[in-house]
Amino acid sequence: MGEVMTAQGRNLPGDDSADLREIGFRSLDFSELALRVEDELGDELNFDAPGLRRIATVGDVLDFIEQLQSA
Amino acid sequence: MTASRRSTALIGDDNTVVVAGKRLTWRTLHKLPQLPSPAAVLVDNGADALAAVRHHAVHGTELLVATSSRVDERMREELGESGFAVVLPDGDVTQARLKRVEESGRVWLLTSGSTGRPKRIGHTLESLTTVTGEQPPRTWLLPYSPGTYAWWQVVTVSLTHADQGLVVIEPDELENWPLIAAEHGVTAASGTPTFWRQAVYRDADALAAVPLEQITLGGEPVDQGILDQLREHFPKARISWIYASSEVGASIVVHDGLAGFPREWLDRKPDPDRPMLAVDGNELVIRSPHHGAGLVGAVHTGDRVEFDGDRVLITGRIDTDEINVGGSKVSAGIVRNVLMSHPGVSWARVFARKAPLVGRMVAAEVVPNPALGPITDADLVQWCSSRLPDYGVPRRIRFLDEIPQKETLKSEV
Repeated sequence: MGEVMTAQGRNLPGDDSADLREIGFRSLDFSELALRVEDELGDELNFDAPGLRRIATVGDVLDFIEQLQSA
Repeated sequence: MTASRRSTALIGDDNTVVVAGKRLTWRTLHKLPQLPSPAAVLVDNGADALAAVRHHAVHGTELLVATSSRVDERMREELGESGFAVVLPDGDVTQARLKRVEESGRVWLLTSGSTGRPKRIGHTLESLTTVTGEQPPRTWLLPYSPGTYAWWQVVTVSLTHADQGLVVIEPDELENWPLIAAEHGVTAASGTPTFWRQAVYRDADALAAVPLEQITLGGEPVDQGILDQLREHFPKARISWIYASSEVGASIVVHDGLAGFPREWLDRKPDPDRPMLAVDGNELVIRSPHHGAGLVGAVHTGDRVEFDGDRVLITGRIDTDEINVGGSKVSAGIVRNVLMSHPGVSWARVFARKAPLVGRMVAAEVVPNPALGPITDADLVQWCSSRLPDYGVPRRIRFLDEIPQKETLKSEV
C-alpha cells in the first residue's frame, strides 16, 4: 500500500485507522494494490469472492487484501 | 478472365524476383504444371506462393494461397467441401470432395481471423491491384506472409508493373531482413508498425543502410512515434500508411507523415472510384471500390476511431480497444500512443486487467529502447499521468525483453 501511495507522490500514514478519503487513497489506488498483490502471488485473485463491505480505512484495505489472498 | 487481362497482369513478368538469395524473374520461377482448379495452395515458402500466383495469372486458375500453418485440418476439410483441391507444401494433393465448375480468374483470400475463424473473401487480380498508373522503378521487400491482403498488394505491384522487383523475405530471414534488403538494393518496403519497430529496435544502423525511397506501414494502428522514428532514419523517403483489409481493400492512403487521416476526408463528395469514409458511433465505416466480392455497400470495419483536432485516429478493434474503468472509458490505442511517444519505449501493448471496485484497469507491457538508459514503471506512470486522465494511466507495467511478432508481422496490440 505504501508503494502505491509513493508512486502517486504521497505517503502512507502509520495509523491503520486513517480514513482513506483523507489520505487520498482512491478506488484506482485500491485496484492497483490488488493487482500488485496478484502479481506478487503470481496467481489470479477472485475479486468476486469477498462480499460487499465498507472499505473506509487503511485497516479495511489490508483486511480486504488478506481476505482476497485466502479466498 | 480474358486473354488480354492475363497479359496485362504479366507486364512485370521480367521483373527481378529474389528468393532464398537467388535472382530470378517471374518468368523463370519454377512452374506448377499440375495445379488443379479450384486449388488451395498451402505453402511453406515464398517462392512456391509466387509460382502459384503466376500460374493463376497465366491460366486463370481459381486460387487460394496461404501458408500451411494458417490453414488447420478443419479448414482444409471445409475447403475440400467447397470444391478446392488442397495442394500441400510437399506437392501432395487432396482432391476436392465437391466437384464444381471453376470460377476462372477468382482469387480467394483468408481474413486474418482477428474476429473469429478466418473467412474466405473473393477477389480478382484486378481488384487486388490498387496501385495503378506509372510507377518509378523500385525493388520491393516482400516480408508478408503469403496469401494475406498486404502480401497480395506488394505482389500485384510487381506482377502488373514494369521495373518493380521483389525481394522475398522468408520467416527465418525476418530478423536480418535489413542486411538482405541492402544487399539486393531494396528501395521500397511495406510492413506493419510492429515490423518497423522491430527493425529499429534490433539494429537501427542496419536499417538505415537500406536505400529506402518508399516506406509503407499498414495492418495495425499507426502511431506518430514510429512515423517520426522512420522519418529520422529516412529523411528523404516517402512515408505512407495504408488502411487496408481483405474486405474493403486499400481504402485509406496517407502520405503526410502524420498518424490518422484528415477529418475532412469524411465529408468528401461521393466518387465511385474512391472509397467513401464515414464514422458510425465510434466505428469506421467504408464503402470501397476495392471491396471483396459480395461486399458491395458500406462495410462496418469493426475498427474504432477517435477524433484528435483535424485528424481521425484509428485506435484499434472496437471489441478490445475500449477499456471501461469504473464507468470511465479510455482507448487502449490512445494509451499505447502515449506510451510509445516516450523516447525510452520501443514497443507497448495496452490491455484491460480485471480489478476490484473499478471492474477493469489499464495495464501495459513495454519493451524498452535499448539505445537509451533504463526506464522504470514509475517513469512511465509519470509520463502518462501528465498526458492522460487518471483512469487511463496504466498502473501495472510489465517489461519484456523483445518485441513479440506473429506470422502476420503483427503483434497483439
